Amino acid sequence: MTAELAIETTDLRKVFRSRWSGKEVCAVENISLRVNRGTTFGLLGPNGAGKTTFVKMLLSACIPTAGTARVYGRDTKDPEARRPIGYLPENHRFPTYFTGAGMLDFYAALSGVDAAKRRKLIPELFERVGLDPKWMDVRVGKYSKGMLQRVGLAQALIHSPSLLVLDEPSDGVDPVGRRQIRDVLHALEAQGVTIFLNSHLLQEVELFCRDVAIVNKGRVVLEGTVNDLTAGKGYKLVAMNGSGPKEWNLGSREEANGKIDDLRREGFSIESLVPTTSRLEDVFIEAVQGKK
Amino acid sequence: MTATFALIVDTFREAMARKIFWGLFGLSLLMVLFFLFIMKIDVVEGATATITLFGQTAGGEHRDMAVDKLVKQVHSSISTFLYSFGMFLAVFASAGLIPSVLEPGRIEVMLSKPISRAHLLMGRFIGNVLVVSCNIVLLVGGVWLIFGWKTGVWSPGFLVAIPSTIFVFSVLLTVVVLAGVLWESTAVSTMIPVVMMILSPILAQEETARKLLSSEWSRQLWLFLYVALPKVYDVGKMTLDITLGQGAGSWWPIWSSGAFGILVYGAAQWIFEKRDF
Repeated sequence: MTAELAIETTDLRKVFRSRWSGKEVCAVENISLRVNRGTTFGLLGPNGAGKTTFVKMLLSACIPTAGTARVYGRDTKDPEARRPIGYLPENHRFPTYFTGAGMLDFYAALSGVDAAKRRKLIPELFERVGLDPKWMDVRVGKYSKGMLQRVGLAQALIHSPSLLVLDEPSDGVDPVGRRQIRDVLHALEAQGVTIFLNSHLLQEVELFCRDVAIVNKGRVVLEGTVNDLTAGKGYKLVAMNGSGPKEWNLGSREEANGKIDDLRREGFSIESLVPTTSRLEDVFIEAVQGKK
Repeated sequence: MTATFALIVDTFREAMARKIFWGLFGLSLLMVLFFLFIMKIDVVEGATATITLFGQTAGGEHRDMAVDKLVKQVHSSISTFLYSFGMFLAVFASAGLIPSVLEPGRIEVMLSKPISRAHLLMGRFIGNVLVVSCNIVLLVGGVWLIFGWKTGVWSPGFLVAIPSTIFVFSVLLTVVVLAGVLWESTAVSTMIPVVMMILSPILAQEETARKLLSSEWSRQLWLFLYVALPKVYDVGKMTLDITLGQGAGSWWPIWSSGAFGILVYGAAQWIFEKRDF
């Protein structure tokens, strides 16, 4: 049952305590989240909402104060739980003494990929993330921000993970590059890879993710599919009479049907009836401000 | 095994990029070459007539004995150098290799891999020890070979300097690791073991201190520090005695320093396991 879930957290909580003053800050407050296998999941939230702390707890880079985090049914405290995870952090600092190929080789070796497979995979991955293989032997210190982001993505993919955790993956990448990264992610999605995206770019999440959770002040304030969250809660009705078109915003299907009956009796002709939709941005702002 | 090897290679790669490895290697090589070319041997009719070392000539009917003495003196000088300047240099050069791996943005990627924190720290520790070991082997082994080849005096006691120096460096490195995981500061990671090295010969004068110190508590404190801290001076002296063929004496400095290293490394690992990144 649990293995059907790529990620499952139960009452995950993180309290940071100052070493000297003893002051406490609760960064993540009892988050229980379920991410289905094979889905594309977006974690949204304003700055300081606790998104990155949550992700770090999934990777065991941050130790939870309470609660559990499981990846494919395994507690993330177990290093083996991290074997299926590919991770790209937001503010990564890859050692500049590495060449691009050397860096991929190192991280692949840490993931237990054997040398022969690494030699085969590295040039393939360079091309896959849109990097010219001629950069393979150049030190990453010479790479641009966008190139670092791509080689970082290649690092996350080197061991063929079944769960990809990406923190702002298109940060610093130009629009063409963003499209390329999105294409790579779509291809992975088609292969059944679960993609967990932590991003503040709402449009990116709306375009790419199937499921989202909005986090604010360490708590999940809204969760669901992008389609459900952006689906309209009403209808827009346009009807005409002799004096021209008129519009009505109606809250429910019953209300819309009643209004149509009334208008027809009054001699209006119905022009259109469209369910209203909202953008993820509207949903996000409403969710975050509504919980203030 | 793949991950451990990768961590060790990565430490070497970083040491080379920071010029740490090349700096130590260059210095060791320079010393080896110095002895290779400074020592002049004159051969007359297939027999060694004179040996000139640092401008001193060993010869006459006591030549063999004089050469033996001279070689031991050079060996003991190298041992003393290793335990003073060499050790300081090794700690100073490699102290940054532990905090660097804990840098934000770097450590998270490593922790996301399927290796335990203990494995990660140990891989880095071993890598660091091996970086320094290569240079110690080059220096001691090179000097031993050169002197053996040129004089025919093969003094195996000198080779004890290889494991003993690596051992003391490893003990001091555990302090670097502990300071690194606590404060992530290269400066602090360097200072603490250097202070221990400086304190070591002072604390070793325990019998003298007992006579000079007036209060019982200060004598007990002195004794405690001497017992608890790594005995760089004592192990160095022991190595010197073995080099000069005088025997090892008590093994107490070795096992007490080893216990200190294990305890400090254990504390470092415990803290590293609990830390948030």
